[in-house]
Amino acid sequence: MKDYKGGYFGKILHVNMDDGSTRIESIDDDYIEKYVGGRGFAIKLLWDHLKKVGKIDPLSAESMLVIAPGPLTGVYLPSSGKNSFAAISPATGIYGDSSMGGGFGVEIRQAGYDAIAITGKTSELSYLFIDDDVIKIIPCPELAGKGNLETEGRIRDNLGDHSLRVASIGVAGENLARFACVTSEWSRNAGRTGMGAVMGSKNLKAIVVRGHKDMPVADMKKVIEISEKAYHELGSHYMMGHWQRFGLMGVIDYANELGILPTHNFRDTHWKKAHTINADVMMDKGHKIGNTGCFGCPMCCGNINIVKEGKWAGTVTEGPEYETAAMLGSNVGIDNFASVLRANHLCDDFGLDTISMGNLIAAIIEGYEKDLLTLDDLDGKPVKWGDDERIMELIEQTAKCESIGATIALGAKGVIARWPQLEPLILHVKGLEQSAYDCRGASSMALAYGTSDIGAHHTRAWTVGKELEAGAGWTNKDRVDLVIYHQHIRSLFDMFGVCRLPWIELGFHEDFYAELYSAVTGKEFGLEPLLKASQNLYDMTRAINVELGVTREDDFPPERTFVPIHTGPLAGKVCDRQEYDKMLSLYYKTRGWDKDGVPGRPTTGE
Amino acid sequence: MRRKLAIVPERCSGCRVCEIACAVHNQGVNNPKKARIRVTAIYPHPVVRMPVVCSQCKDAKCIAACPTDAIFSKDGVVQIKDDDCIGCHACVDACPFGAMYVHPDYDVPLKCDICGGSDQPQCAKMCPTGAITFIPEHVFGQSKRLNNVLSYAHMKEIEYMEKGEPKKLHYADNNAAERDESGGAK
Repeated sequence: MKDYKGGYFGKILHVNMDDGSTRIESIDDDYIEKYVGGRGFAIKLLWDHLKKVGKIDPLSAESMLVIAPGPLTGVYLPSSGKNSFAAISPATGIYGDSSMGGGFGVEIRQAGYDAIAITGKTSELSYLFIDDDVIKIIPCPELAGKGNLETEGRIRDNLGDHSLRVASIGVAGENLARFACVTSEWSRNAGRTGMGAVMGSKNLKAIVVRGHKDMPVADMKKVIEISEKAYHELGSHYMMGHWQRFGLMGVIDYANELGILPTHNFRDTHWKKAHTINADVMMDKGHKIGNTGCFGCPMCCGNINIVKEGKWAGTVTEGPEYETAAMLGSNVGIDNFASVLRANHLCDDFGLDTISMGNLIAAIIEGYEKDLLTLDDLDGKPVKWGDDERIMELIEQTAKCESIGATIALGAKGVIARWPQLEPLILHVKGLEQSAYDCRGASSMALAYGTSDIGAHHTRAWTVGKELEAGAGWTNKDRVDLVIYHQHIRSLFDMFGVCRLPWIELGFHEDFYAELYSAVTGKEFGLEPLLKASQNLYDMTRAINVELGVTREDDFPPERTFVPIHTGPLAGKVCDRQEYDKMLSLYYKTRGWDKDGVPGRPTTGE
Repeated sequence: MRRKLAIVPERCSGCRVCEIACAVHNQGVNNPKKARIRVTAIYPHPVVRMPVVCSQCKDAKCIAACPTDAIFSKDGVVQIKDDDCIGCHACVDACPFGAMYVHPDYDVPLKCDICGGSDQPQCAKMCPTGAITFIPEHVFGQSKRLNNVLSYAHMKEIEYMEKGEPKKLHYADNNAAERDESGGAK
């Protein structure tokens, strides 16, 4: 590296689990300029791997799992505790990634790596221990079947170091549940697209990291100056107190008032019982006992909650945040906050993605209600809206792949394969279940789900709030432009390894990140070239997905998007299929892709 | 007037801004492992996050443990003379709070010196939740004193309306005990 005086170690660690061999790949300026870091490096590594091995089963030994913090991860700036997990997803069969907060990514950087790529499979359950420059694979058959909590604690005890960082999988990951997550620090999850199953397929119970190195920064004085101004600005923001008190739980009321709160499997988007699972219950009933913040983050949006009485007494969990409270609350009809906390705790410990879990349970409940599923399909036990005990049982069965859980664990695609009649009830795009924002009131959000490179998730673009708040009068061009801008800027945060919340929630200016990136790397950047790199990488994930079989048909939002909402503030709203089709064409055209959504000139460096 | 760092663990979110702020200012590197204050987190039973930092003890165990008299106290700040330190880490072991730290890049342990005796240590300045405060020595224990006093008094509350807004007033009925004793009306 010549021009980059900081931000990078110039090293990507390749680990082959087959024999424990490791290799360091050096990266140069050109590589950094093209791929920036984090998610960008992951895409490049997965692209190269795809070229090498071709289309393979994502759960086979040759598959690659990439863990990539970004060049700003761990740097003295607000909310720098993010890193990406990426692989070809076992849930969708296409590119998948998910980002994790906390301190795990910081530790990888302190060990001196810009990214870690893991291939191969060990013969017995093991964990990977990255101790600065020493890399070991340590068998741990005794951890088989253990939850995330116990796994992390026992590894720390065994290695005799409380300060190291552990990212582990729970029972669900070991059993290859297609939406298993990777969990660190109790409840920081890389939740979506089944990264936990990829680890499970490698017999990799955990990745343990300990590092001591300095994270290189070119101009420390400048970084201190910019960051402290930023910390001050955030600290004095009028919404800061709201975030520290409620975290993302405040979104429940917001979504309910707007009419985008998923209720009863997205049949309704407004729930008269939303007050049973909102932030007020959490505060007023004395559930909340503390805050959690990721590395360097003043917003500390994590809520620690406890259940003191009733059948779930003794449950302590970090969470829920909005998605979990909605998907395992209103969407399955649970009107008891303690039950939401229990479900959140189970999913964290088993290592299951709460968004996918909530979607699939809701679809099964609705399917049974509509007689699309028989009692036999449900192992003789009915399940109804709000039946919390049966829902907890389903979560456990899914993690353990027992009874009906063995089917649920296969994700949207697996459930549809067994019960094709459920297809219209399962909200998914490309096999990934939809996040907890209904998109019928704002078709830009439908486009965001349809064209997100990992499936129906809001990580790449979240435009529903903006479109609804703006009121009517948006043209398709407005929608397409906003979705594309979001897909670039939000991806850029994942490339930097920082959280997007200060930007989207507290109105933090994006130029700040370009300025900081320049100070960290010692190379002058405006936002434009970085957004351009992000755009090229979006084309690249598209190229990967096209190679893996994605077509124009896969870019449509879930069926339910084309069925009108019946109740609530957005009653009567629906997404029109022909209108969507037109918008999609405009989206392709704006991106420079052809009418089938194939990038004309994939900027993959090949 | 001497001031000390006081920790309120109940407010700590575990974000480690204190660590990174300490490291960039005192060591000049972006490395939380080189901080003189560290957040120790325990979860989930119980959940405790607590920044651990030197208490600048008056009768410091680290000073007593040092075989070469490399540690001394000046103006209430316990400091290490780098030249005299032999790197045996007896002080690290002796500290009752575990508030001294070791990093492989340094022979001398890392120990808080209140940012060189400054009147605004970085950790307290940057802590986003107010878990780290820098207060005059005589204020130590104040919140507990206040709590103690409040729990002792016979607290009552009345609700009333002011310009159409419901309000609450708390007051201590200091005559309640007397009335109880005399069996008078409440």
